[in-house]
Amino acid sequence: MRISAAALFSLALAALAAFAVYKALSWPPKAALFPLVMGIPLLVLAVAQVLVDLREPAAAGEGWRRPLVVFAWMAVFIVLVLLAGFPVAVPLFVFAYLLLESAERWGLALALAAAAWAFFHLLFERLLHFPFDAGLIRDWLTGGGS
Amino acid sequence: MVDALIQGLALVLQWNAFSLMLVGMALGFMVGMLPGIGGAATLALMLPFVFKMSPVEAFAFLLGMHSVAATTGDITSILFGVPGEGLSAATVVDGHPMAKQGEAARALGAALMSSLVGAIIGAIALAISIPIVRPLVLTFGSPELFMVTLMGIACITSLSGLDTKTQMKGFAMGFFGLLLATIGQERQSGILRFDFGFTYLWEGLDLIPVLVGIFAIPEIIDLAVRRTAIAGDKPPKLLFAGVWQGIVDTFRHFWLVLRCSLVGVFVGILPGAGGGVAQWMAYAHAVQSAKNAADRSRFGSGDVRGVLGPGAANNSKEGGDLIPTIAFGVPGSGAMAILLGAFLIMGLHPGPDMLTKHLAVTYSMVWTLVLANIIAVLACLALLPYLALVTGIRGGLMIPFLLLLVFVGSYTANRQIADLLVTLGFGAVGFLMVRFGWPRAPLVLGFVLGKLAETYLFISVARYGYSWVTQPLVLVLMVITALVIVFPYIQERRRRAH
Repeated sequence: MRISAAALFSLALAALAAFAVYKALSWPPKAALFPLVMGIPLLVLAVAQVLVDLREPAAAGEGWRRPLVVFAWMAVFIVLVLLAGFPVAVPLFVFAYLLLESAERWGLALALAAAAWAFFHLLFERLLHFPFDAGLIRDWLTGGGS
Repeated sequence: MVDALIQGLALVLQWNAFSLMLVGMALGFMVGMLPGIGGAATLALMLPFVFKMSPVEAFAFLLGMHSVAATTGDITSILFGVPGEGLSAATVVDGHPMAKQGEAARALGAALMSSLVGAIIGAIALAISIPIVRPLVLTFGSPELFMVTLMGIACITSLSGLDTKTQMKGFAMGFFGLLLATIGQERQSGILRFDFGFTYLWEGLDLIPVLVGIFAIPEIIDLAVRRTAIAGDKPPKLLFAGVWQGIVDTFRHFWLVLRCSLVGVFVGILPGAGGGVAQWMAYAHAVQSAKNAADRSRFGSGDVRGVLGPGAANNSKEGGDLIPTIAFGVPGSGAMAILLGAFLIMGLHPGPDMLTKHLAVTYSMVWTLVLANIIAVLACLALLPYLALVTGIRGGLMIPFLLLLVFVGSYTANRQIADLLVTLGFGAVGFLMVRFGWPRAPLVLGFVLGKLAETYLFISVARYGYSWVTQPLVLVLMVITALVIVFPYIQERRRRAH
């Protein structure tokens, strides 16, 4: 029998609830009360949902490829922020995404990346003075960690 | 009292107070449109600037900013399916589907007009209730407030679930949300719960990354999958006609707007239950007031009533929120807690003084709420038809910008890379929930209410032992909750009998 993806999701939720309840049992009553009061019903409902899902035939699945590609891009953005900080990552990401993923023209991608940078810079850095971390690369170059 | 009312208006209309209000509104307008940076965060950022202002100027500035942020937050929710504010997430549920069907202008018109009505009702409620609200708030103790939170979750789950099958999933998600709120240090015993060794989690998960992840990322992915503009192949109706229709909708469903405004005021009054709660409660009420199951099934796929209810509530809430803040110094929400800081900076002490000695200042706040909302709605209405055009831009161009808004917004929560990872993680959870038909609203409401619910439960048990469940008001609330839960089953049975 093939287990549907939907059933796996319900199963993961049930496992999470079971884990939460198990962890809570070892805490003093004050700290354990609320997680138990919420975790036990969640466990029951999630297990019930697993049983429901198993009885239903797996629905014809929608594709997974596109969503995974977008998630990969988001991961790329986070890595960029980590390495170079927001002020650099913002235009870089907009440019890369437009060029590689949306297959836009060079000129347009460049112009929009510049617009993104300008907007970001003016609003967050000039107006709100929001402190963004510079990213790991600059830390390495200047030889100092933050 | 009438004297003070007029005096308050005169205070706001002084040119420096009025111009500061306009500056605050311009800031609030932008902040509201941008996802993630909440009105509360901006209030906090702007607090240092009020030191040199007089009380009236400071409140005109801060309240002007705050009330506009709630209104423009709805715009982002509708156009992009990304809540511009934690407070306007409920507008996404029906507003964004409307935008996808090319009805963005109508949804925006409805959201703005209902916001205006809500704001005015909130201000009126604030004006008249200040002297009489005290005994009402004080009859609700922790046991009752705990039941109110559970009732809120029951309402949203039972009434927005389309069928009894989804309802079970909804309850599971409500509990899951409540459980998520327990992450971090437990307040009474100091025990670290579910921290997995990360100091980031000691303070618990932050609302903004979780909310933005769950609601915005699935929408962005959907846009990427469809490879079209937000409005698909239905070009957005430009023109004032759509906006006008939305305004007409507001008055066609005026009773609903009125009731949802009152829901907003009431939830705003409850201490600690502010923030997004009012909007979701109003949404639940709008769904509940549908005539029958078929009528109800329209919600979630672009029903204008699903926009009107939350639209009204998140602005009337401001008036309600201010009531306990001014009268007892008990802030109704995070934003109000920050505003309380402004009171102290100004050397004002919330409490009886505000109702006697500083009554004119209090009423100047009422007027700020009214004026700021009227001006904001007029400005928005002028710009709206152009804003709605955004939904016609092709998705490939929009996606990187939406992703930026999402991640910049969530980063502003704590300025940690972990915020981004939480956003991504909950984005994945939200995506899977949508795909497998789990409702997202109960999870969010559970999460929003979790910390509060735990405190109420803890105090109830500590004070009364387990006998708190037998208090008369608690029993009444329990019966109502139970009725709310079984209601869809009864309705389904009745429908089958036909």
